[in-house]
This record gives sequence, structure tokens and C-alpha cells, in this order.
Amino acid sequence: MSTEEQLVDYREQTPEVKRYFEDLRSREVVLKVEKLGKIFGEGVGATEALQDVSFDVHHREFVSIVGPSGCGKSTLIRILAGLETSTSGSAMLDSEEIRGPGSGRGMVFQSYTLFPWRTVAGNVTFGPEMMGKSSDDVEKEADKWLGMVGLSDFKNHYPHQLSGGMKQRVGIARALANRPRILLMDEPFGALDAQTRALMQAYLLQIWRHVDVTILFITHDLDEAIYLSDRILVLEANPGRVEEFVEIPLERPRKPDQFLDPRFLAVRHRLDVLIHGEFPEEAEELSFIGGVDRFGEVDAD
Amino acid sequence: MDWFAIGRELSPKARGIITFCSFLLPLAVWSAFSYLPFLWHPLMEVTESGDSRYFRPGMTVEREAFHQENARLSSKGSVPVKGIPVNPVYLPAPHEVGKAFYTAFVTEPRLPGDPWLHESLWHSIQVIFWGFLLSSIIGVPLGILCGAYSPIARLFEPFIDFVRYMPAPAFGALAVAIVGIYDGPKIAIIFIGTFFQQVLVVSNTTRGLDRALVEAAQTLGAGKLQLLTRVALPGILPDLYRDLRILLGWAWTYLIVAELVGAKTGITAFIHQQSKYKVYENVYAAIIMIGLIGLFVDIMLGVLGSRLFPWEKDSKPGIFTFISKALGFGKEASTT
Ligand SMILES: Nc1ncnc2c1ncn2[C@@H]1O[C@H](COP(=O)(O)OP(=O)(O)OP(=O)(O)O)[C@@H](O)[C@H]1O
Ligand SMILES: [Mg+2]
Repeated sequence: MSTEEQLVDYREQTPEVKRYFEDLRSREVVLKVEKLGKIFGEGVGATEALQDVSFDVHHREFVSIVGPSGCGKSTLIRILAGLETSTSGSAMLDSEEIRGPGSGRGMVFQSYTLFPWRTVAGNVTFGPEMMGKSSDDVEKEADKWLGMVGLSDFKNHYPHQLSGGMKQRVGIARALANRPRILLMDEPFGALDAQTRALMQAYLLQIWRHVDVTILFITHDLDEAIYLSDRILVLEANPGRVEEFVEIPLERPRKPDQFLDPRFLAVRHRLDVLIHGEFPEEAEELSFIGGVDRFGEVDAD
Repeated sequence: MDWFAIGRELSPKARGIITFCSFLLPLAVWSAFSYLPFLWHPLMEVTESGDSRYFRPGMTVEREAFHQENARLSSKGSVPVKGIPVNPVYLPAPHEVGKAFYTAFVTEPRLPGDPWLHESLWHSIQVIFWGFLLSSIIGVPLGILCGAYSPIARLFEPFIDFVRYMPAPAFGALAVAIVGIYDGPKIAIIFIGTFFQQVLVVSNTTRGLDRALVEAAQTLGAGKLQLLTRVALPGILPDLYRDLRILLGWAWTYLIVAELVGAKTGITAFIHQQSKYKVYENVYAAIIMIGLIGLFVDIMLGVLGSRLFPWEKDSKPGIFTFISKALGFGKEASTT
């Protein structure tokens, strides 16, 4: 394959990147997932969404999860959030078994899920209020987090008055206000336009640099995954299994010009192969239009 | 501008005009039947009896009888009866009803001890108020619990669903036997008519709460009780309020039946009396007044609602938004 010959090896790392990963691996394991399995339903109608999924996430690591639609990404993250129960295996946060939802794991949803009856500030203070913090502390916290996501001027707005990008920034601030150990994000930028998305990626990286938090991030956008992550967990479908855990050989802090880095393209190619199969070019040939033409010929007979 | 685009809202002005027409049109039809003598007017009111021995001025007679009498009189060469076409007494003209709105209030009751109109109305309002309040005090919390927790729903809803098909008035005689002949049974009927629907409507509304909000709250550390009081309750509040507004309308419709139970009271007693005396203007005035009070309460609740729930997008433009805007109550869309 000609493209592969031109590409650098995605596994090759510069000394700087190597050091980065060595340091990363030496950090404590925040999230430990072992042989996790999930079967929906029973008997004939049962779906095996996850099978023997195992991986570790280290402190302050940024891990993305990618994979074809229906491979169980959301199911996995919902189990980690405690919104769903696994049928086998275990998931541990700081060596403690995850059972049900808890404030140690913050979640950001694609659909924002802001509380419409609370103002922006009220949304951010929700978590701390539930923890029974005093209202003074809570307010100071809210100001801090809203400042961090650049929404100080909007603290008294209601969610319906915000744009999608602003809503999601509130969503992030709300999750962080609880000071979770890990931030779980399920396609948080999936509903945003390309420009807002790029902006949000920059925001997220900046937040992650300044806040002591580990991030687990689901996305369909492979470029986004590469740009943001330390490592990418690639899942395959039916049943959902770990296909590969790819280390991203790019230096930090990340900058947009890295999108054109040959190592970026090499990783991108590798992910394409993992997710779309060995010959993505060929798959493209069997495009929708071609299919229609062929149907036309059959009809003509 | 396309007035008939599906789902498209009209400009406030067009909305206002159409709302106005919705009241103007029936009034125009009524006026036409009342003031145009060639429309309907099936009777003749005698103005001069001429040589007739039976017809007296002021009498209303069938058109046919009137013409037969005149044919008979003219064949004998006598002076014919004179008259004008009129409508039956049960269709008073708009201006008569309009006048009745005033006179009904200032006319002394025929029998001493009978209530004045305003007393009757006040009595009716109290019956509704208590019936609806008692129903809501139990029905709303029960409905919320049913909507939130499925064991509670499974326990209560099947039976409530069954009872709600029994017409509330059917319990009238029972209510009298149990709570006596005064206002008790009337309030009981409003209660029965409202309560069972209320539980089901409120539980449905509660069930309609976005699950994702509950999950979001869970990941933020909300406990069981907090999910109920800090998420479910505020989450459904605007819809709950809307439900109660609609249910209050239903309670109004039970009023008349309720007031017939035991001794007739309130506005119903007034209506029956006036129709017995054949003062139909007053009957119409009273019926319209029930409608007006209902509408007024609804508008007020609507205005209050837009104040209570500033996070709601103005979702229901209608007569209420139009009138409240016109009155200057409408909340301005916040722009920043
Ligand atoms: N509540 C459920 N009941 C039954 N099956 C479910 C349920 N939730 C998910 N599944 C199944 O589990 C599998 C994984 O679903 P999941 O939503 O986790 O996929 P995903 O990777 O997030 O997909 P996408 O990329 O489209 O969001 C799918 O086959 C789906 O049909
Ligand atoms: Mg998903």
C-alpha cells in the first residue's frame, strides 16, 4: 500500500514523547477496568454490548474512546458513571469498586442536560449544593469555574438563552465544580458546528492543563481524538471489545498546526484502518451513488 | 405573509385581530338573528288587536295563527290585527342581555331571603375553590409520587383509572347521605370530578420529565430525596402549573351539576329561578358570566405563570399572551 510506505510509523516516539509516557505510566492508576462485560436483555433478544474490556487510566491522563457506532462506547462510559450496571468484570476508581453514581465521577453529556430552571450559576452550584456545602463557598466556587470557561458575564442567564457551545461550557463547569477525580465526556462536542468545536477543544485542553482532573472522552471525530488525547482506546463492535490502545506520539502542549504533522497523519491512518478496515480507499468506491447505478442496471433487465 | 403555514405563529397584531374575531363572529351571528326581522323571527308580537277578539297587544303568537286570524278578519271586512315579527322569548337580543348584566345585579330577589346575583356567584366560586383545593392537596403529591416511583403508580393508578370512568354526578346522592345537604356534597362532587383525573394527569406529567436531567443530577451527587425535591419537582413545575390550569377548567364544568345536588344553590339556583320567571336575559347573562369568570381566572393564572417561570420559553402564545401583552404584563424576551 503506497500511502503506508510514505507514512512514518505511528509507534515511533521522540525522546520527549517517550519521557512523557514514562512519566505518565509512573503515575497512579485512577481508573482500572477489568474484563468488563455488559449484556442487555436476556435469551434470544440479548445484545452483548461489551465483552472483556480491560484498560487502565492514569492520573491526569487524557484518554479518548473511538470505535464504530454501536460498539458500546456510551454503554462503557455510563457504567463508569454508575448510570448502568455491568454484567461481568469490574471497574474501579482509586481502587474502589464503582457501584452507582457518585460525585467522584463527573459526566458531560452530548445533549447538555442543563437544568432549565436554574441559571448558569445555579447549574454550576448544583453539585456542591447536593454535597451540603455552605452557600458562600458554593458561590465562590461557581464564580471560579465560570471564569475558567469564560462565562462570568452570563451567570444569571437561563440555559435557553445560551448557544450550544456556551451550554456545553456550563456543562463542563458544572461537572468540574464537584472536583471529580475523573471527567467522563460522551461526545460532548457532537452537536456543535466545526468552528465552535475547534474552540471548545482549545478550551478543554486549557482547562485540563490547569485543573487536576483525568479525562475520558468519547468522540466520533478521529482528528479530535488525536489532537486532544494522550492515548486512544479503539473499540470494535459486536461485541464491543478493545481493539488497540494507541499512544499519540505528539508533544504537548498541542497546537493546531500539529494537524499536519506526519505523525498525526500516521496515527490518523492507523485509526482509519482499525475502524473502517484494511482498505478504506476501496470502501469509498462502493459509495452510495455507485450502488444506485447498479440497481438501475438490474431494473433495466 | 403566509397565514396557513403549518406550525407558523402569526405576528402579534394578526394574532390580536383573529382573537378579536373569534368573539366578534358569534356576536355578529347573534345580532343578525336578533336585529334583522327577515332572519328567523318565527313569532308575531301583536301591537294593535284591531277587531280580533282573542289577540291582545303584547301577546306573541305563531306566525301561522296570526295570518289565519287576519285572513278570517279580512274575509269579514273587519280591521286586521297589526304586529311585528319577533323571536321567541328564549332568544333575547344582545343589548337586552347586555343590559341584564347590570340589572341582574341590582334587581332585588323576588322572594325575600333569596340571594342576590353577586351572592350566588360568590357562593359558586367558593364551592369551586374548596373542591379544587382539597383535590389538589391530595391529588398533586400523589400524582407526583406515582409519576416518580413505579411501585406507587402500580398500586394506585389501576384503581384510579377505574374510578375515573364513574361520572362524578353519580355520586351525588351518596355525597348527600355522607356529608349532608349543605355545601359538603357540592364540594365533594367537584372533588370527585377533579381528583382522579388530576392524579393521572400529574403522574403523566411527572413521568414526562427528561430522564437525562435525573441522570445528570445523579452524576452530580444528588441523593434519592434530592432527586425528587431538587430535580423532579422544579423540572415539572411549569407543566404542573399548566395541568392545574386545565383541570381548574374541568372543575368549572362540574359546578352546575354539583349545585343541583341537594338544595339548589349558587349561580345554578339563580339560573333556574330566572328561567322559571322567563327572564331569559338574566339566564344568558349568568351563563356568560360563568364563562367570563373562568376566562378571567385563566388569564390571571397565565400572567402569573409567565412571572413564576422565567426559564420557560414563551411557548403558548394565545389569547392569554395577547391580552397580557396588551395589558403590559407580558415579559419581554430578554436580550443580551
Ligand atoms: N438500554 C439498552 N437496551 C438494550 N440495548 C442497548 C441499550 N443501550 C445500548 N444498547 C445496545 O448496546 C450496543 C452499544 O450501544 P452504545 O450506545 O453503547 O453504542 P455507542 O458506541 O455509544 O454508539 P454511538 O457511537 O452510535 O453513540 C448497541 O448495540 C445498542 O443497541
Ligand atoms: Mg453513544
